[in-house]
Amino acid sequence: MDHYHAGIALGLAIGLLAGFLFVAFLFKRKVLDMHFDERQERARGKAFQYGFFTLLISAYAYAVSDMVLGRWCDPMAGVTLCVAAGMCVFAVTCILKDAYLSLREKPRTIMTMFALLSSVNLGFGVLHHIHPGLVENGVLTYRAVNPIIGLATLVILVVYIVNYLLRPREEEEE
Amino acid sequence: MKNLRMKAARAALDMSQQDLADAVGVSRQTVHAIEKGDYNPTIRLCTAICRVLGKTLDELFWEG
Repeated sequence: MDHYHAGIALGLAIGLLAGFLFVAFLFKRKVLDMHFDERQERARGKAFQYGFFTLLISAYAYAVSDMVLGRWCDPMAGVTLCVAAGMCVFAVTCILKDAYLSLREKPRTIMTMFALLSSVNLGFGVLHHIHPGLVENGVLTYRAVNPIIGLATLVILVVYIVNYLLRPREEEEE
Repeated sequence: MKNLRMKAARAALDMSQQDLADAVGVSRQTVHAIEKGDYNPTIRLCTAICRVLGKTLDELFWEG
């Protein structure tokens, strides 16, 4: 392993560790919470099923596209695309069934976090696009990971907001 | 099938869906889904609702 790839591996490891510690901190501060009621748990189980099958199908679709079209995408970007597809299906299904946020999570706080996460990742995507570029020799590089995550979180955020705005008002209290 | 008896029992106690949801430890949407007939609660949740609303299982959930 040369210095360049060792640097990438170290950067990824540090990024993952930082992400893990941040999420653990949010759980400790009760910003994130995993207490769902029985209807939500059932809905989330179904959503997880849809997300899992989306992940399987997209992973095979990615592998087949790589075989047929040749290398068009860095494996890291490809895997992130598949995970983002599965995550989006899971999250959107949960949102449509009113089972995305737990009983103790505050919608405004969570959606603000999503907006921040999305804008930071999309911002990195724009920076990478300007220099040195997301695509090299026709191959989508690992630098596309940030904009893919940014897009996925943006989709979840938009679906949450649109679902909230379109929900009939009389449902609030009948 | 809508559960109008549960809705009436809740209204009689002047409770909102959110009040009932908080009392039994579920989300407001879950109470709404039960009243609308979109969700069949477990016996555990049914008894919790009955206890809060001061009704029996038969009075609220038996479709005789």
